[in-house]
This record gives sequence, C-alpha cells and structure tokens, in this order.
Amino acid sequence: MDDTMSNEQRSVGPDRTATPGGTRLGWLFDRNLVSLAVLSTLLVVVSGIVQVSHGPFRMSYAEVGRSLTDQRVLFDVEVWKAFLLGHELPEMSNSNLVVWYMRLPRVLVGVFVGANLAVSGAIFQAVTRNELASPFILGVSSGAGAAILLTFVFLGGLVLYLPLIAAAGGALAFLVVYTIAWKNGTSPVRLVLAGVIVGTIFTSLQQGMFFFLQDISVAKSARAWTVGSLIGTDWEQIRMVLPWSVLAVVLALAGARQLNVLLLGKNTAKSLGMNVERVRFGLSSVGVLAAAATIAVAGIVSFVGLIVPHMVRNIVGSDYKKLVVGCLFAGPALVVSADVGARLFFQMLGSRGQIPVGIVTGLVGGPYFLYLMRKQEALGNI
Amino acid sequence: MKRNTGTDDETVRADGATATDWTDEARAPDTSELAGEGLVLGYPATDEPVLDGETVTATPGAVTALVGPNGSGKSTLLKGLANQLEPTDGSVLLDGQDIRSFGTKEMAKKLGLLSQESTSPGSISVEDLVFHGRYPHRGFFETVTAEDERAVDRAIELAGVDHLREREVASLSGGQKQLVWIAMVLAQETDVLLLDEPTTFLDLHHQLEVMEIIETLRDESDITVVVVLHDIEQAARLADRMVALKDGEIHARGTPEEVVTEGLLAEVFEIDAAVERTERGPRIEPIRARHDDDEPDAVHERPPRMEADE
Repeated sequence: MDDTMSNEQRSVGPDRTATPGGTRLGWLFDRNLVSLAVLSTLLVVVSGIVQVSHGPFRMSYAEVGRSLTDQRVLFDVEVWKAFLLGHELPEMSNSNLVVWYMRLPRVLVGVFVGANLAVSGAIFQAVTRNELASPFILGVSSGAGAAILLTFVFLGGLVLYLPLIAAAGGALAFLVVYTIAWKNGTSPVRLVLAGVIVGTIFTSLQQGMFFFLQDISVAKSARAWTVGSLIGTDWEQIRMVLPWSVLAVVLALAGARQLNVLLLGKNTAKSLGMNVERVRFGLSSVGVLAAAATIAVAGIVSFVGLIVPHMVRNIVGSDYKKLVVGCLFAGPALVVSADVGARLFFQMLGSRGQIPVGIVTGLVGGPYFLYLMRKQEALGNI
Repeated sequence: MKRNTGTDDETVRADGATATDWTDEARAPDTSELAGEGLVLGYPATDEPVLDGETVTATPGAVTALVGPNGSGKSTLLKGLANQLEPTDGSVLLDGQDIRSFGTKEMAKKLGLLSQESTSPGSISVEDLVFHGRYPHRGFFETVTAEDERAVDRAIELAGVDHLREREVASLSGGQKQLVWIAMVLAQETDVLLLDEPTTFLDLHHQLEVMEIIETLRDESDITVVVVLHDIEQAARLADRMVALKDGEIHARGTPEEVVTEGLLAEVFEIDAAVERTERGPRIEPIRARHDDDEPDAVHERPPRMEADE
C-alpha cells in the first residue's frame, strides 16, 4: 500500500540495521550519556580531592592523591571491613587516617546524597508528568524533616532510629499529598499544589518545634539537619545509606520502562494494559525510599532532585533508562562540588567557618526553579 | 484502490465486487466480536448519561464506523467499548466475555485503542514509541524478544513510517505523528482495534494514508476495527458497517448504502444533501444546513449539546 512512498524515501531513511539488535545495552553507549558520565566523574574526583585536602591538618593535593591510591588501604580487606561493616580499624599511617577515615566519608556521603535525590526527583517527575516535581516540592523532605525534629525535641531516646523515622515522616507526607490529590486519578497540577501546601504545613511544624528546644547544641544540630549538611559525616552514615541506595537505584532502573510508558499519559498507559495507579504508587515508594535515605544521613538538601533530572533530560533526552543512569553521575557532581564550593568561598573570605551544602543548593536551585516556571508555559508538563 | 471485502450479503458493494479471496481467513472463527449491550455511559461532571442503554455490535473481522454530528456520543461510545469509561449500566462483551473480567494486560493484548489526543515526550524516537506498543506482551523485567521486534517491524511497515524510524517524534508533522501512533497500536497486535477520529485534523494526504492502513487491515487481517469518523463520506468509503448516532441514540445501522441516504442526512446531520451512488461508495454533496423553521441560506453555528464529548 505504501510502495511508492517508501521507495522514494527509503534511500533517505537511516540505515535501520543499526538499532534493533543494539537496543539491549546499546543505549548505554549513547555519546551524550558517556560524556555526561565522564565529565561528572571528573568533577566529583577533583572536588573530592580539594575537599579532602582541606581541614585543620592541611595536606597538598599530591599527598591526598598518593594516599587515595595507597595499595595498603585499597586492597586491605580489614580496612574495608572496618569502613563498611563497622569493625575495628587496623593500624594506619596518619595521612591515610586523615584522608580515608576522617575526610573521605564526607565526599562519599555527598555522592550518595546526590545520586539518591536525583533519582528520586526523576521518578517523581515521571509519576506526576511534571518537571517541577521533586521530593522537596512534593512535601517528602519537609515530612521527613518534621519527623526528625520531633525526635530531637520529644523522643531523644530514639535518635538511633533517625533514618527510619525520617523515612516514615517522608512517606506520611507523601501519602497525605497523594490522597488529597487523588480524585479520579492524580493530576500533575493537583499533586504539585498539594505537595507545596503539605510541605508548608510540615515546615511550620518544624519551625514550631524549635521553640521547645532547651539545649543549644541540640538546636544547632537540628538546624543543620533541616538545611542539609555533610559536615561531620563519617563511615557510619555511609553504612546507613548504602544498602537503601543500592535498592532504590536497582528498582529505579528496573522500573525505567514503566516510567517511560507513564510519560505517554494516563489514557495511553491504560490502553497499553498498565495498571496506572498501582505502578505510580509503587514507583513513588521507590522515590520516597531514595529521598528518605539521604535525609536520614544528611538532612534536607533542597532542589537537587529538581535541578539534576532536568539538566540530565536536556542532555540525554527523556528516555528513563538513560535519564536514571545520567542522574547517578550528575547528582553526585552537583552535591560534591556545591559542598566544596561553599568551603572554598568561606576560605576566600578568610573565615574558617563552613556553611551547610543545603544552603548552597537552595541558593542555586531556587532561582533555577523560578526560571523553569517562567520558561514553561504549561507548568512544567513533560 | 482495492475493494476486497467479505461475502456477507450485506457488504456487497455498489460496484458488485464480492471478492472471495479473503473470505475464509477474514471470517475465520478466530476473529473477535466486540459488543456493547444496553450501555449507559456518562461523565462524572454531568448527571444525565450521554448514552442511555444502547446496544452495538462490531462485526468480527470487518470495519465498523461510528458517525454522527458533534456531541452525538460517538466518541463516548468508543470510550465505553474500550473500557476507558466505566458504564453505569450494561456491559461490553469481547467474544461473549465481560471485558471487566479481563486483567489489564490481558485486555490490552486483545483490544487496542488510539485516542484522539495522544501526547509523548518530544525526544522519544519513533521506533522507541512503537516498541511501547509491546507493553502488554512483556513482563515487568522482560527484555525485547525476537517476537517483539518482528511485531514492531510489521507495524512500522504497515503504517508506512519506516523512513521515520530514527526520527524524534517532536520533529514530525501532525500527520506523520498520527501514523506513528497508529504503528504503536498496531504493534500491540490486538484482535480488536478502536480508533477515535484518526483522520481529523490531518491533511488530505495523511487522511488517505490512514484510510489505506485501515483498508489493508480489513483486507489482509482478521482484525475487528471500530472507527469513529467525522467525515461521513470517508466512513461510507471505508466501512463495511456503519452506525449513525444522534443525541446519544443510534438512528441507523447497516451497510453504507443502507445508512447513507438523503433522509438520514436530513434527520441525523440536519443537512439537505444529494447522495449519488458511485463505484467508490455513496458520494455526498451537501447543499444546505436544515433548521427547525427551515429558513433558507442561514448557516449558523449551533451550540454543542454536550461539552463532555468531543
């Protein structure tokens, strides 16, 4: 039926033998995705070395580099048992101790925080089909933050369970948002509006609880938590965040095709045989898990989950297989470099002080969000 | 243009062609019958149902066209048949079985729907979009099988979009997009295919492309097609059976020759028109819009009866 048409256009069309067989894992070698991954990794490594070299015990970049590639640490099972399982730390040289034990965790936690928040944001953006969605916008972060403050103020004995409590708070906030926005299915606009309002309520609760804080040091630590900070993190935080991050990332990658079909809209997804509400709910749970895991170790680092997926989408396109992988690289690059940027900025001012990374991401991310809103006519529909 | 159709008496064309070549395959028992029985369909926002107890049957392996003026309920009926709109009463039967008893994926393997408005992220490639049509055939973790690739290749070829394979959907014209979406539902490889105004808003070239795809489906496959068409002449040319709706009621059903008459056009579409029998089916020459007081020449917009539909 299309003989004449396809004949004249066949010569122009691309050689299609190139794709179908290669679709299995061929997408991983997409030029843009590889460039993004390489650049992000470089940024993380450079920022990481700068970060590690700073501190009361000043080290040169060469010393840091030597220590980081020290075979005695890299291939010592006992050392890794100490790091990852919390066993007793074996004897180490001073510089190795400073680099590996005291300073590197901050960088690594930054990596996990960035990756988790970016993946979480990417998931929420597909579920709501809205670029403005992120754990922060949907109230997940405020819910987790309120739960943490509640623990600090009234349930001091439960501080050990903080990660779980944060996840519960985040999940609760998201459930409230989802239930309120659910009316014959969830519309993106309703979901984001409900998220903003529920987020505001939980933030008010947080603020309110500060008045009940008696101990000034607890108040300080609680405040650092609500703005999101990597200061003072060590291997214990990594042990805490690692398993949940792996789980969330694996589930996000496995769900990439579902996310892609969700992007076609509710009607099409449904006519393709997807149980839309169930899939949305399941994937949202993965998003909550990823966000809560980071909030438990670093507090509320704002806007990462919003900016990173958006930037990655501009580079690799909207295919979620590529998008999730891209987020795994770009998220860490943003958080680690923002953390070191804040530190260097203070250094330039001649101060020894440090500001939490969440303030930097907020200062960068807020304007970016406004720019998005200004640019997008249909409130950020993907 | 080919005019191979079934041998049922009712599908005999004006040109007398009653090709028998496809009969055995096309009317084989593995064709699916879709029927809506006593359907009451409406939207949550309005109290009164759009359709109030209508029964309609899509002939297995043939093309059934739903026609009617704006707001007649033809799209609503299609949504009901596609299980996108839950009937308040009545049921939709696929091969005699209530479609609510099917699982969502099981259903999507048997029944495909092309909605009027389809949206996709702009940067998706044509081929990737068509691969989404295989969704109901794949498990949660399953990768693409040879069977999936074969189905996608066939769908792309049938829709005539092979030359667009690597293009981004956003870069296509409206007509090309529609062909790609058709390729996606074809890749679903269903027994029944429902199309909601597939030619509306397309240029003539792409309208004819879409019609040719449907003709190929009718002539060369067992698929049962139900299509909502705005253009009654197009419907008459394409369909084996026609169902004409007005104000949520079925006014006429039968072959195009039976349905497309001057009397029906006056009654359902409120126009005076001359119907001429040609070898490509009835040709309609609209003369003027009819009014209740039947004043001549005045053609003014009537307010749509139901904004929920169309």
